Order: sequence, then C-alpha cells, then structure tokens
Amino acid sequence: MISLSLAGLLSQIFNGIQFGVLVALLATGLSLIFGMLGIINFAHGSLYMLGAYLVWSVVQVLDIPGKFWFGLVFSFIFMGFVGFIIEKFLLRRMYGQPVVYMILITFGLLLVIQQGVGMIYGTNPLPLGIPPFFRGEVNLGLFKYPLYYLFTMCIGLIVIFAVWFFIERSTWGAIIRACAEDPEMAGTLGIKTVNVYTLTFALGAALAGLGGGLHAPMIGGLQHTIGGLIILVCFIVVVVGGMGSIRGALLAGITIGVIRGLAGLFWAPASEIVMFIAMGIILGFRPQGLLGKKIST
Amino acid sequence: MREKSQPSSREWLSFIITATILFFLQPILPSKMMAAEILIMALPTLAFILLLGYTGQLNFGTGSLFAVGAYTAGILLSRYNVHVLVAIVAGVVMTCIVASVMGFFCIRQGGLIFALLTLAFNQIIWFVIFQWRSLTNGADGIWGIKRTFIDFGFFSIDIRPSFNFYILVLIFFLLIFFFVKRLIESPFGKVLQGMRDSELRATAIGFSIVTYKWVAFVISGMICGLGGALFALHQEYVGEHLASWVTGGEIVIMALLGGTFVLQGAVIGSGVFIFLSDLLNRFKFLAMGGGWLLILGAVFIVVVMFFKGGIYGGAEGIYQRLKGKILFFR
Repeated sequence: MISLSLAGLLSQIFNGIQFGVLVALLATGLSLIFGMLGIINFAHGSLYMLGAYLVWSVVQVLDIPGKFWFGLVFSFIFMGFVGFIIEKFLLRRMYGQPVVYMILITFGLLLVIQQGVGMIYGTNPLPLGIPPFFRGEVNLGLFKYPLYYLFTMCIGLIVIFAVWFFIERSTWGAIIRACAEDPEMAGTLGIKTVNVYTLTFALGAALAGLGGGLHAPMIGGLQHTIGGLIILVCFIVVVVGGMGSIRGALLAGITIGVIRGLAGLFWAPASEIVMFIAMGIILGFRPQGLLGKKIST
Repeated sequence: MREKSQPSSREWLSFIITATILFFLQPILPSKMMAAEILIMALPTLAFILLLGYTGQLNFGTGSLFAVGAYTAGILLSRYNVHVLVAIVAGVVMTCIVASVMGFFCIRQGGLIFALLTLAFNQIIWFVIFQWRSLTNGADGIWGIKRTFIDFGFFSIDIRPSFNFYILVLIFFLLIFFFVKRLIESPFGKVLQGMRDSELRATAIGFSIVTYKWVAFVISGMICGLGGALFALHQEYVGEHLASWVTGGEIVIMALLGGTFVLQGAVIGSGVFIFLSDLLNRFKFLAMGGGWLLILGAVFIVVVMFFKGGIYGGAEGIYQRLKGKILFFR
C-alpha cells in the first residue's frame, strides 16, 4: 500500500524540481548547441559524466578547504576547453554536410569518452561524498530537506538565469542569436560565424561539465555509464520544452522532474518510463514543444 | 523505369555470386558460429539502411524491434516447444504489430524528432520487457531455447551443427536481401527515394507520405524481427540488453561502417563490426572496461568524417581510381 503524507508528497515534488533544474542545466547546453548547429549532441551525457569525474579527481588530489568549489570551477573551464577541441577539430569539418553525419560523430564521441573514462578510472563505482559544508538538512516547515539538494537547485537556477541573460540580453548573445537565425547575413555584417559556433559549443559543454560536477555528490557512486542514463532525460526535456528555447528547457525540466518524482512515489520503476509517455503525449499535441517555435522542415 | 517484373539475368548472376561468396564465409572465419552471427546482425542493419538510405530517417529504435522478435521466438521455443519455423514467423508477426504502433506515432515527425521518438519507444519497449517478469523473466532473460530439428513431416533437418544452422540463416538472409533489393527498385521504392529527396514534391505529385513511410517503417521493423528470431536460435538465450538503446547504437555503427547507401553495406558493416569486436576482445587490456568500444568509436568517427560511403563506398572509390589509372597507362 502507498501511504501518502503531505510531507512525503511535498518532499517528492521538491526532489522532482531539484532533478528537473539539474537536467534543465544540461538541457540548456544541449538546446544552445541545437539552436546553433542544428544537431542533437549525443555526447552531451558523456561530457556530463566527464565533468563529474573531473570533480571527483580534483577532490581526491587536492587537500585544501573548499576543494569541491575548485573542482566545480575546474570542471566548468576544462569541459569548455574540451568542447572547444571537439568543435574545432571534429564538427567544424562537417558543416555544410547532412546533419545526420554530425549527429553520428557525436555518437562516436559518446563511445570514445565513455569507454575512455571506463578504462582510466575503471568500471567500479567511485563514491564522492557530499562536501562537508553542505551536509545536514534544512527545516522547511512541513518537512526536512537535504541542504545540498537545496543548494544545487539554487545554483542551477542562477546559472540557467545567467545563461538566459547572456543569450537574450547581452551584445554577445545578440551575436549568437543572429548567427543561429541567419548565419549568412551575420557573416556579411562582419561576424566570424565559425568562432561563434565554437563558443556556443564550448559553452554547452562547460554547462554539461558543471551539471555533472553538481550532480556527482548525489550519485551513490560514479560510473562511466551515468551519461547514458541522463542523456535520455535531457533529450526528452529539450524536445518537450521546444528545441532551442532556454525557458522551455527549464519549464520542461521541472515538469518532467515533478512527473517523474510523483510517479516514483506510486511505483518506483515507473519513474523512468513515465517521462517517455509524457513526452509522447506532449509531442502529440504540440510537435514543436511547449515553448518552441514552429519548426519548418 | 523498368517494366518487366521478372528478375533479369544480371540479377540472377549477382544472386549466385553473393550466395557463393557468403557460402564460403562460414569455414574461413575463426569461430564456427561467427558467420551466422554476422548474417543475423546484418538483417537489422539492412533494415536500418533501408530506412536511412532510402527514406532518410534515422531510426534509433531498431534494437527494441530486434528484441521483440527475439523474445517472441525465444518464449515460444523454450516454453511451448513450437515448430522452429512457426516461432520465427510468430516473431516476425509480433514485430510487425509492434512496429505498426511505433511507426504510427513516429513517422509523422521528420528528422531529429523522428530519431528521438524512436529512441523513446525503444526505452518503453525495453521497460516493458524488463518489468514484465512473468512473461520475460526480467533481467534474467529467457534460457533454455533449444536449437534442434526443423521438422518437415516426412524429413527433418538438424540445425544443431553450426554449418547447417548457417545455411538456414543464409537462406533467410538471401531471401530478405534480394527482397529489399527488388523493393527499392520497385515503384514503391522509387517513391520512397523521391520522398527522401523532396517531401514537398512527392506530396505535390499526390503520394501520401505518411502511408509510404509507415509501410517502409513496418517492413524495416519486420526484417529486424526476423533477425531477432534467428538471433534467439543462434544464442539459445535472450536477454533484456538486446532491447537497450546500446543495441540500436551498435546497429547504427554497423550500418555506417558498411555504407548507408548500398545494401551490401549491411553485410560488410556487421561483418567488420563483429570480426573487430571479437579480435579486440582477445586483448586483455581492451576487453576489460569495454575498451574495444573506444577503438570502435574512434574508427566510427574516422569513417563518418572521411568515408561517407562507409567501407563499401571507400573501396569502390579506390577501385574507380585504380581503374582510371590502368586505363591511363594503357
């Protein structure tokens, strides 16, 4: 029997929101890359996984207070660099060819990164505890909630807002949007579109690294396959939210997260599948996603 | 436009040559069952190529359809002890039903959304297989599938020896291969290719895109199902990992390795994939942690970047160049 209490329900909803925000963080990167290059980045999950492993390594190697923070920043910057390399040396050669090939390259990257990490770090789960500063729970009136979960939720929201602000309100963002809208026209205005592509991909990868780093302490043990689990959820969130829309990604992330959390309350295994069903239903009514523009293909 | 419906003598020739080459595949490969596995995996790869190369749809859900065929045949063989051919046909019929439902929802969307929807369906099917323990044994999979005799009433064929089984697989494969070959040359296939190149034009001429794509999807799904049913016989075991998206991904790799715009690519791709994975797994340091997949992924990236036509396309390019040189020197 299911015993439903208000506190249990609320904490499950909070879990859903927290998970949704984290996924939205990844989905934002995925969405940015899609808006710019027109591809779905299959390697995004691997970048997330790599980010988590980087934080783990930094925490193992360094012995200073606040090493977790250092790990997060390192993961963000390093993954941005990885994204830069991937775009510069692999994807750039594929522009102007059918999109399918770029998607398949990212699929190959998925294998390389995932198995590479598996070979370097081994396949046993590596535990990364919650950083000491964030252990414990906060009393939210009706129920207690782990501090770290609350913290990641806030960080995620702040970062997503910052990215949104960067894209929608800053001059650089205007350039990025211009290149996504009409690369040729942007080029004639003197913008080096190729560099903008690189920047966008690097930003997307960095966000994936940050997301992985934030998520790492919550996963019981890091494994090289965690990317494959999260990437499916990200795909759902991006598609449901509307391709290329940051606000859509956040909305869809939270919606899907809450649906997942509530479904898990009734029947634990259902939490993984209910997302796909939700996606099918939403796409049936709005093929362009919740906040997406109509796609003309 | 071809008008006669009978296969030409040229096609008969290519049929005989292909059959002969494949016939000798079994003895030359290092392990006895590898040739059968190559041809079995070539079936879903063929199905994938039919969709990607001839209708332009990237299907990430082939793994689940493969698994549906494998589970249907496996369950019938292990629990109800049915005739082998009945089990295979049942596998194909079951996959046909599942693919019809899946296709109904997926084909309306093009491009990326199609790819993601097939991926989503793949996960749903995997979930059903994983959770429906009373039918599928969940994570344990189906054991006790016996590859024994095919009984024709007045005589029976023993398919336990690897060679006999290989011949069975070869017959199925050749039937499907030349069916698909003729399908893409048929008016139906030409409409599909026309749609791939311009949906707008195909609609304007008056073809119903949705129906054509749906039929193509279901045919492709049934081929996957046949492959799955044979795979159940081959392994004598069916596990839920078949339905995971990794299997679909492997099929994608095979297709891309072989070449997506020719049907021969399916055999070449699955052959190279299975041979390479067997070879690489022999190295201890690679077998651990699945390092062979790393090398495979790298090979895959190189193929996608530099040999768009896969191995078949690359070999043909070299052949053409050599031919040009020889003519030049003469």
